[in-house]
Amino acid sequence: MRRFPFLPAFIFLLLALLLSLGIGSVFLSPAELLNSLTGRGSDLANSILWKIRLPRTVLIALTGMALGGSGAAYQGLFRNPLADPFLIGIASGAGLGAVLAMSVQWPYTFWGLMAIPLSAFFAALLTVAVVYFLARVGQTTPVTNLILAGVAVSAFATSLMSFLMLQSDGELRRAMSWLMGGSIQLGWTFTLAMLPYLLIGLGVLVFSGHALNLLQFGDEQAQQLGLDVVRVKRIILISASLATAAAVAFSGIIGFIGLVVPHLSRLWFGADYKRLLPLSILSGATLLLVSDVIARVVLAPQELPVGIVTALAGAPFFLWVLRRSKTQGLW
Amino acid sequence: MLSKTIKITLFFLLLLTACTSALPAGDLTFTDGLGREVKLDGPAQRVITLAPSLTEVLFAVGAGSQVVGRDDFSDYPAEALNVASIGSTFGDLNTEAILALEPDLVLAAEINTPEQVKSLEDLGITVYYLNNPLTFAELYDQVRLVGQLTGHEEEADELAESLSARVDAVTEAVGNVTERPTVFYEIDGTDPAKPWTTGPGTFMDTMITMAGGVNIGGVLSDQYAQISVEEIVAQNPDFIILGDAAFGVTVESIGERAGWSDLTAVQDGHVIPFDDNLASRPGPRLVDGLEELLKILHPELVPTQ
Repeated sequence: MRRFPFLPAFIFLLLALLLSLGIGSVFLSPAELLNSLTGRGSDLANSILWKIRLPRTVLIALTGMALGGSGAAYQGLFRNPLADPFLIGIASGAGLGAVLAMSVQWPYTFWGLMAIPLSAFFAALLTVAVVYFLARVGQTTPVTNLILAGVAVSAFATSLMSFLMLQSDGELRRAMSWLMGGSIQLGWTFTLAMLPYLLIGLGVLVFSGHALNLLQFGDEQAQQLGLDVVRVKRIILISASLATAAAVAFSGIIGFIGLVVPHLSRLWFGADYKRLLPLSILSGATLLLVSDVIARVVLAPQELPVGIVTALAGAPFFLWVLRRSKTQGLW
Repeated sequence: MLSKTIKITLFFLLLLTACTSALPAGDLTFTDGLGREVKLDGPAQRVITLAPSLTEVLFAVGAGSQVVGRDDFSDYPAEALNVASIGSTFGDLNTEAILALEPDLVLAAEINTPEQVKSLEDLGITVYYLNNPLTFAELYDQVRLVGQLTGHEEEADELAESLSARVDAVTEAVGNVTERPTVFYEIDGTDPAKPWTTGPGTFMDTMITMAGGVNIGGVLSDQYAQISVEEIVAQNPDFIILGDAAFGVTVESIGERAGWSDLTAVQDGHVIPFDDNLASRPGPRLVDGLEELLKILHPELVPTQ
């Protein structure tokens, strides 16, 4: 499996996609699913498959890809096993943007409904920009500074958001449910809206594997090996943040995937970023899809926010894999 | 010849009654609380409600048998519990379950988000979003509207009239009251140093005033906020109403809170448990809540029957 990792990764992803399309509150047998896929099923089954499950599956898969990929990129960039895509303020920035937007009564129009995710998206990017410029020392941005500035700005944004939620007079519930995993049911609109940023972000990251490998030696070493460290770090940061901000803005804050997926991939497939990044992207989608299925099924007909399931189910799974892994110090 | 006249007269009379009692054929068009145009082919026969308050209104106007789905929290009246639940309305709705029930109308309240409305609209389901009534007048309008949507206009009108009459009775009784007791309404007292209460502008606040009291939470700036226990002690309310009685807060436990035993209300035994659903669900039971409050605050004004 170490030598040809992409095949099992694709197989798992395919299985997860099928699982996500096949499972839901309404039981549809494989025959019915097949009929609906070819457009021949009953109206109800067609509606459920095409208008509910398929858009949701695609959105979740894309979100998982974004989180997995940028998680791996951040861990490589910061050379820190605890790094995750929300380290430098994306989650808190997005949350603040979303809650700010929720305090306004937008008209019920296309743009009115896009107001919240767009606000979250731009607020997330703005937060990253603020953190980046706060962390600059002359021409470089030391990684430690980024982390510290990120923690401080995140804390500030989070408490500002909490304060706004208190003032919200009834929107509290809406804010809370967004924070636990946003509204992922607005079908193709949201998917299409996040797609460009995701493609750009992840596209760049997939080709950053070599640069990340070099960065593992340290900034100075990498510079001496011929890497334009400042420029590369900025590009990776921007791409990872772009992909994450898009994912968070349209799917809400889903924790744990960005942290754990790179580690799982590393345990299974090794630490070469040229492979780790694409594999994290695929595994991120798989893991999030499985979590989403669990979220739909465990308390049916109630749906749990997927952000809760990722940590509740993901953490024990990760610990199990960790315990079983015989190699020490793989990090 | 007489019988022929009679026959013709009867025929026309029949025609007349048929015309007046038949439901108007064709669309009923409304504009809902989100400004959306909602069209129905006739009164809705398969209704799903996404809010407990709307469930109460539906059953109150006699449309209970037309409700085919409800949210998890709809628990009043008891018949509502027999209706299939579509799960919680927190976050994303279980659209599959809703679709499977084949509703011709879904009613949403302010507790539901525009995103939830859109997700149902995208599936071709007719949704009507109702804003929460902020006054009793708006409550009567909402009752009448639900009656129109479900084909129970007469019952809805009657209900609105009776609710209005009861509210007027309370307002009249309170009209000449000289002493207005101060009230502390506790929504959540998990942290006794700063319990949650209702500030100005909520229905509960309005109802306390209408029942002849003064809400000490009126000094706060948010509608739902935590009030400092020092403020409670300073204002020393005449009555403490426990809106969180349903969550296990008892009259005795109030006396055990540090500093609370010195309050006049505690010493005089004016700590009263209260069903918060009578104040927080914008439906017909708000009037029950109002009458409850009158009984608590001005028992002398309640006619003994």
